Amino acid sequence: MLTRTLPNKTFYRSLLWLVYFCAAVSVSQAQAQDTASGDHVRVRWLAPEQFGPATETIGFYFDVDPGWHVYWRNAGDSGAAPRFDFVGASGEVGEIQWPSPVRLPIEHLTNLGYEDDVAYLFSVTPDAPRMELVVNLEWLVCKVDCIPGYGNMSLSREVADKAQWLPQDLALRDRFAAQIPDAATPDNFPWAVQRVSAGAEQGTLQLELTAANGGSLVSPPEIFPLDGGLLTAKAPQVEQSGNTILYTFERVPGAPLLPAASPTTGFVISDGTRAWQLDNLEIQTASVSVPLAVDGSQPLWLLILAAIAGGAILNLMPCVFPVLSIKLFGLMGPGTSAQERVKSGVLYGAGVLVTFALLGGLLLALRAGGAAIGWGFQLQSAPVVLALILLFWLMALSFSGVYEFGHRLMNLAGHSRGGSFATGVLAVFVAAPCTGPFMGAALGAATLLPTASAMAIFIGLGIGLALPFVLLCLFPVLLQRLPQPGPWMETLRQFLAFPLYATVIWLLWVLGRLVGEDGWLLGSLVMLGVVLALWLAQHLQRFGKLFAWLSVLAVIVLGLSGANFLQEQRAQPVAAARTTAEGWQPYDRIAIGEALTRGQGVFIDYTAAWCITCQVNKKLVLDTDEVAALFAKNKVYLVRADWTDQNPVITRALAELGRNSVPVYAWYAPGEKSPVLLPQILQTSMIEALFASETE
Amino acid sequence: MNIKKFGAKHLLNTVGAFLIAAPALVMAAATPGEKAPEFSEVDAAGKTHNLADYKGQWLVLEWFNKDCPYVKKHYGSGNMQALQEKYTGQDINWLTVISSAKGKQGYLEPAQALEVAESHNLHASAPFLLDSDGSMGRAYGAKTTPHMFIINPEGQVVYAGAIDDNDSANPAVIADSANYVAAALDASMAGDAIAVASSRAYGCSVKY
Repeated sequence: MLTRTLPNKTFYRSLLWLVYFCAAVSVSQAQAQDTASGDHVRVRWLAPEQFGPATETIGFYFDVDPGWHVYWRNAGDSGAAPRFDFVGASGEVGEIQWPSPVRLPIEHLTNLGYEDDVAYLFSVTPDAPRMELVVNLEWLVCKVDCIPGYGNMSLSREVADKAQWLPQDLALRDRFAAQIPDAATPDNFPWAVQRVSAGAEQGTLQLELTAANGGSLVSPPEIFPLDGGLLTAKAPQVEQSGNTILYTFERVPGAPLLPAASPTTGFVISDGTRAWQLDNLEIQTASVSVPLAVDGSQPLWLLILAAIAGGAILNLMPCVFPVLSIKLFGLMGPGTSAQERVKSGVLYGAGVLVTFALLGGLLLALRAGGAAIGWGFQLQSAPVVLALILLFWLMALSFSGVYEFGHRLMNLAGHSRGGSFATGVLAVFVAAPCTGPFMGAALGAATLLPTASAMAIFIGLGIGLALPFVLLCLFPVLLQRLPQPGPWMETLRQFLAFPLYATVIWLLWVLGRLVGEDGWLLGSLVMLGVVLALWLAQHLQRFGKLFAWLSVLAVIVLGLSGANFLQEQRAQPVAAARTTAEGWQPYDRIAIGEALTRGQGVFIDYTAAWCITCQVNKKLVLDTDEVAALFAKNKVYLVRADWTDQNPVITRALAELGRNSVPVYAWYAPGEKSPVLLPQILQTSMIEALFASETE
Repeated sequence: MNIKKFGAKHLLNTVGAFLIAAPALVMAAATPGEKAPEFSEVDAAGKTHNLADYKGQWLVLEWFNKDCPYVKKHYGSGNMQALQEKYTGQDINWLTVISSAKGKQGYLEPAQALEVAESHNLHASAPFLLDSDGSMGRAYGAKTTPHMFIINPEGQVVYAGAIDDNDSANPAVIADSANYVAAALDASMAGDAIAVASSRAYGCSVKY
């Protein structure tokens, strides 16, 4: 940028002649031009005594008085980078290379530059018997006050078979060459850029890095913006959580993101010994981040209404249905008075609301703590999944009439106050993976909204979930419409065991996905152990019974700790290791960005093992030959973002889409930066429609 | 132990962020597209200027420090005065502000300021505004001399940044530089959109 394009060779030759001429006429003057100096600065060549035929990195060495500084390519809030105007050269001259700078807070401003000394380097390749260079220099040296300096330097050294350096000059050259940033590649760069985004918060720009290979992040690397027109030089705010570091830069007031269509920017990153340069990083803008879903402008009451509606719909979900039927079943039993029903309804409602409030509080507390998590996270824990397996297994067995305990549980769940409350708690937990469309949007908003509003949304969800049941209890008329108790109840109870068995199978599969094949074995063995112990308890005498019950307890404790152990064993990024179906790539922000820049369409399937809707969509639509052919024909870049484990990167990507649950299907048409979100229940025709509209 | 360490670090980060943020709260900024910050300053001749006085009119603000090489670049060459003359001739107001604190480079007593205005052949709408407490400079986020702001008749900032696109201190480059202030004013007068509304203000730091 600052080196002017060099004139053609004919010009060099005549210039060279001129240089020779000048040198011959006045040797002393030519030698005087070996250096330049101004107030507080002395400049000299850092070059070999004799050049070799090969390309050599040489430089201008600036010796600066203590307390004074000179500037980097982006000078920061004030100041100016030095200029090197090559007016003649007997060879090829490369661009000026800038060692990575330091931040220099100067009163209310921050400058980017160098104190004490620096060498601005560049490469030259001789193509004449002598290496000749003529350069006009301009620099600015500042303490608080600034003094510009001008100089004119020439270099004339012999070119022979081999370069010969003065050792101290070579050492100086190498010291600064080590600070020249390398272009960052996945091989040499120890971090990965997760995103660069101009947040909803005006006036800031965020850069998120993660350490590659689980590298330790004792101290976050220093980052310098290349574009002083976009970002101020002030040190960014740094937030570190786990292996993720978030840098928040301040933008120059009113500075636009350029180019407007797909803004980019660049940084130099220094770990103190090495430096890397990242050019043309795509900036995600707020409009891209929140496409169809919730944005801050939506009124709160609408969000709460959506949350209530979403909660109500949860009642119809297959995960919640069995729990509610147990409860209703209990209420229909003989000897249940209207008063008890009202009590049950209120307690159930309280159970749901308290659980939602607690979960909401937990989520908000974690959000405040910087942890990137999302809804459904309780099903990302192997012990929790195993506990649920056991719970449903016992309930299913009792429904089938295998064990009398079921009746007691039923009594407990059906008639005691604690039982209704517990049912409410249970309903919330099992409802989590079945988040309906409304709930997705409301929860997405909850992760972004201020605490009070977010909490209101959680409570709204709870109200929605509790409402149908509570209504049923409050208005016995509705209950009376239900059939009278009778022998059919036994049949119904046995039938209801089957959804529970199905739930157990599904949870076992989730466990398998979480901890590997051992999960199946562990889960099944615990189930077997529990059944055996129950059977023994039925057939043994007093002490035998006690032994059997203790065995149940032991099996459960062992099982849970086993699940925990297995999960910790697999603490490595499981999602990354998990091979995806053919053609589907794991989630990688950079690769997606590259595909978008190439003008390729991108389809992202946000999925999780514990999400039934996701699996159904996968089997019936996404992984069918028909759709695969359609994707292949249109050269779509397919991404499967697996959210089975706690993956903060995917959680954040979901949050940017305004969602906090799966499934989410995001389609970026070729050349489009903002996605279209597909419905949660996919149909083949919807995928076809994506490409049909394209050919129009 | 790790948790404790993290906690302490987190606390330090928070405190650090607050310390960084605190001056930022004081240091507001005039942002293109937003309302211009209020000001009320007395010029070297003793006359008070308020933002409200310029309602319904175009106003250019220029930060000045007579000893700054970049100010010298634009005044020594006559570039700044030519701009002042041209645009005040088109009924555009032009105020030149000195935010240097007493004892710092560029600070002038009213009498000296009048002399400097004379010797610099200043063509602004008033002799220098003397903002020695830095209140106006801080309200505008003036970082450098020269730092330029253009305010439209509705009181909105439409340009903030450098005078032109060449941050050399050498007056010889002026002829080949793209002048952002002139471009913004010409576009506005012609009823066109302003192409560049923000740029990195180059120059010397304002000596608050």
